[in-house]
Amino acid sequence: MEHLTAETFDQNARAALADTQLRGALKNLAVTFGERRQAAIATVENWEDLRERARSIKDETLAHLDKYLTDFADNAEKAGAQIHWARDGREACAIVLELLKERDATKIVKSKSMATEEIHLNAALEKTGIDPVETDLGEWIIQLAGETPSHIVVPAIHKTKGQIADLFVEKVGIEKSDDVDVLTKTARRILRTRFAEAEVGISGVNFGVAETGTILILENEGNIRLTTSLPKTHIALMGIEKVVPRFTDLDVFLKLLPRSGTGQRLTTYQSLITGTKRNATDEGPAEVHIILMDNGRSRMLAHPTTRQSLACIRCGACLNACPVYQQIGGHAYGSVYPGPIGAVITPQLVGIGKTKQLPFASSLCGACREVCPVKIDIPELLLHLRAEIAEGVTETSTHKFSEKLAFGFYSFAWSRPEFYKLGTKISRLLQKFVAKDGKIGKTSGFLAKLAPPLGAWTAWRDAPTVAPKSFREIWKSDLENK
Amino acid sequence: MNNSEAKSAIFASIRQNLAASLPFDAAHHAHHAPKDSTFTTPVLPELSTENLIENFRKNLESVGGNFSIVYDESEAAEILLMMIGEKKARKIAVSDSPLVEKIVGFLKMDAEFIENASADRLFECDLGITGAQWAIAETGTLVLESESERHRLASLVPPVHVCILEAGQIRQTLGEILELVQQSLSRTITFITGASRTSDIELTLAIGVHGPGELIVILIDKTEEAEN
Amino acid sequence: MKISLFITCLVDQLCPQVGKATVEVLRRAGCEVVFDERQTCCGQPAFNTGYRTEARKFAKRFIEIFEESDADFIVSPSGSCTAMVKHFDELFAEDENWRSRAARIAAKTYEFSAFLVNVLKIEDTNASFSGKLTWHDACHGLRDLNVRDEPRKLLKNVRNAEFVELKNADVCCGFGGTFAVKYPEISVAILDNKIAEIEKSGADAVVACDASCLMQIGGRLSRLGSKAKPMHIAEILAAQE
Ligand code: SF4
Repeated sequence: MEHLTAETFDQNARAALADTQLRGALKNLAVTFGERRQAAIATVENWEDLRERARSIKDETLAHLDKYLTDFADNAEKAGAQIHWARDGREACAIVLELLKERDATKIVKSKSMATEEIHLNAALEKTGIDPVETDLGEWIIQLAGETPSHIVVPAIHKTKGQIADLFVEKVGIEKSDDVDVLTKTARRILRTRFAEAEVGISGVNFGVAETGTILILENEGNIRLTTSLPKTHIALMGIEKVVPRFTDLDVFLKLLPRSGTGQRLTTYQSLITGTKRNATDEGPAEVHIILMDNGRSRMLAHPTTRQSLACIRCGACLNACPVYQQIGGHAYGSVYPGPIGAVITPQLVGIGKTKQLPFASSLCGACREVCPVKIDIPELLLHLRAEIAEGVTETSTHKFSEKLAFGFYSFAWSRPEFYKLGTKISRLLQKFVAKDGKIGKTSGFLAKLAPPLGAWTAWRDAPTVAPKSFREIWKSDLENK
Repeated sequence: MNNSEAKSAIFASIRQNLAASLPFDAAHHAHHAPKDSTFTTPVLPELSTENLIENFRKNLESVGGNFSIVYDESEAAEILLMMIGEKKARKIAVSDSPLVEKIVGFLKMDAEFIENASADRLFECDLGITGAQWAIAETGTLVLESESERHRLASLVPPVHVCILEAGQIRQTLGEILELVQQSLSRTITFITGASRTSDIELTLAIGVHGPGELIVILIDKTEEAEN
Repeated sequence: MKISLFITCLVDQLCPQVGKATVEVLRRAGCEVVFDERQTCCGQPAFNTGYRTEARKFAKRFIEIFEESDADFIVSPSGSCTAMVKHFDELFAEDENWRSRAARIAAKTYEFSAFLVNVLKIEDTNASFSGKLTWHDACHGLRDLNVRDEPRKLLKNVRNAEFVELKNADVCCGFGGTFAVKYPEISVAILDNKIAEIEKSGADAVVACDASCLMQIGGRLSRLGSKAKPMHIAEILAAQE
């Protein structure tokens, strides 16, 4: 299957809007997750305090990231884990491959991890003939379909159960059923055989505790526990921003993350893993490898606005709350990270050149900021990136020159009352040709070409006309001296 | 692969970028400074054991867990016997906890009890019996510390997980538990809240996807009968 | 109490009746109202599209003009333009002087309905309107300025009117400035959810405190031939039947 790219966001979005299956699948997302989240939040008294607290923990960590990373790595090593460092995705993939090769391992199980998606680890492994098995139900569905996740918490949200049923018929040869329980049991049955034979388990990390070297991974299904318990070797890929200073800081994040993401007070399982087992006869893997990956993250530290991006705990709440995401789903963003948080981190991770549309794919309504458990001001970040694009800090050449001219003209004319008033008069003259009954209906042909924004507006909406008498004129004649 | 090179490059980048941010930090702080001083952990009233148990039961049941309360080990064995019969369990994975061993010792039946099962054998088990080190009342959560008991897989692989708990192990909050377990940190600590679940297909809840589809807690409260 | 009006360019040019209504309500409440004709635009379109150099020009001009006034407050019939004024200081991250001037202006700038309720302590303007009213929370008023209860209090006290709460009143209408023309299909898909709720509410007028949202909602209502009319809260509060 062709993967969409961020470069064609506008086309992707249009296609998504026309896809009735997709929009059907997305229909319940906002309501279901919205209501569950509301109910879960109501079970803590000090929600706003918790958000503040979480943010200040993240701010503190990021301001001293070098110190906390050092502590984390030292303490994890002391407990028996092996630490690896990767500057970018390519290095991280190479480390994984090397570890597999050294162990002669080909049977790999994976649990859901956005970081591994980010670096396209599966593709890198497949190139060498290794087929890692995704074990999270949603990820497995996506893997069978040869697609990418469209949501950071529920990766297969874009698929209806009918589509999933067909997929299972085709790929695993079961009889068609759209009973969710039957589909789930099928996944359990098939994936168990993979777990039984797996030599290496690969996971992500939700939090890494500097003070103890512990990694915490949250889940509902149990596949992460299996992935990190059964195989002899556990490899965890961890972005360098996942560190928190103290073990007890986890209290705050464990209260925020499940409530924000899935509307649970706690996800079903949390695994807190500190190094490797002490005795050979203990349960669990003999080796734990933690790969600490930068991949563009340290760059985000360079400004307080962009630094916020690193506070993200990947709960997905901003996606669920976003009116744009609700309409078009995740694939249109053409990026591993979709939705509001995707629109701000993708350009920072992969460069703004091919992702210029993403920061503009928002009405700046602020619903994301309102739900974000770590109070990331996503609209502020969007504006920051828009400024980088418009002011050419990153790359001006391909950005619409006509728009730049228009804004240059606007700022010249509209900051001068005489030009501003002249503009009003010209509009009044021009609109005589298009307005009817005090409004402008559908404009097409020549005029829409002449003024594309007017065409884009009036294709669906009537436009108002400039009033015969502006407020400033009314003020002068009727109001000023009353 | 030169790991130390990557490491120093990452640290250099972190320091460089943090330094570049300094001139902007103050202005941003004015708008966004977290109001940290307002944060207080709500002080909860000390709960009696009875209230803790009730709280735990309520929250466990709200996530689909099954709860029974018994007076002692032999009564626990009776309940267990019934359950094993009901589930027609033939192969049962057990942890090495003395409490579990004692209770299983009471059971006179021809099911096979397997301690320290290999992965292959575990996959054949119909039921797993373990203890837990702590429980959290406010969320209905079981807390398993790997250093105390070999229960990581018995609590995970079989389709039914029975956990034997003692009343004194329950605490009210997650925060208390984190402080407790940190004192001698086990290599693996597992929190379990309800049965394995997923909402990955059309956000419809399905139970028992990879872990147990059933979670049963048998709580031994030796003060029970005395009060009755 | 002296008020300097920040009328906004949309109101000035497209719906001057809103400006007139704003003046009427404020005068009826006993305020002295002045209007500085040198004002034009707050620069929000430039700011929101990333043109900060341009936005900075507008901001400086705005600050200079309003600094000259001896008015106690600056009041605007727009949540999003008020919010823009509150963002001015972010444009001067490296300039202490302008930053504090921006902050001083921002501190005395109020959105119209919040000003009535929170400063003037007026919840009943003696208005009268026959029909069913509903309220749309424009995003910037709601989330940047935290204006939620104020307009509702005011609308509930309007004589002869029935106030109905709009389902998902706080969800965006899809306007978003240039977003509405950059991605018109997405914008309208979002808008159509809003329209559906307005129709379900059976309201005669959907009220908001932002000419931009009203232009978006009204443009679609008019295209679809709906009976519901977009109305600015100042128009309702000024109405006396
Ligand atoms: S930005 Fe905030 S709301 Fe969005 S995924 Fe990250 S933590 Fe969650």
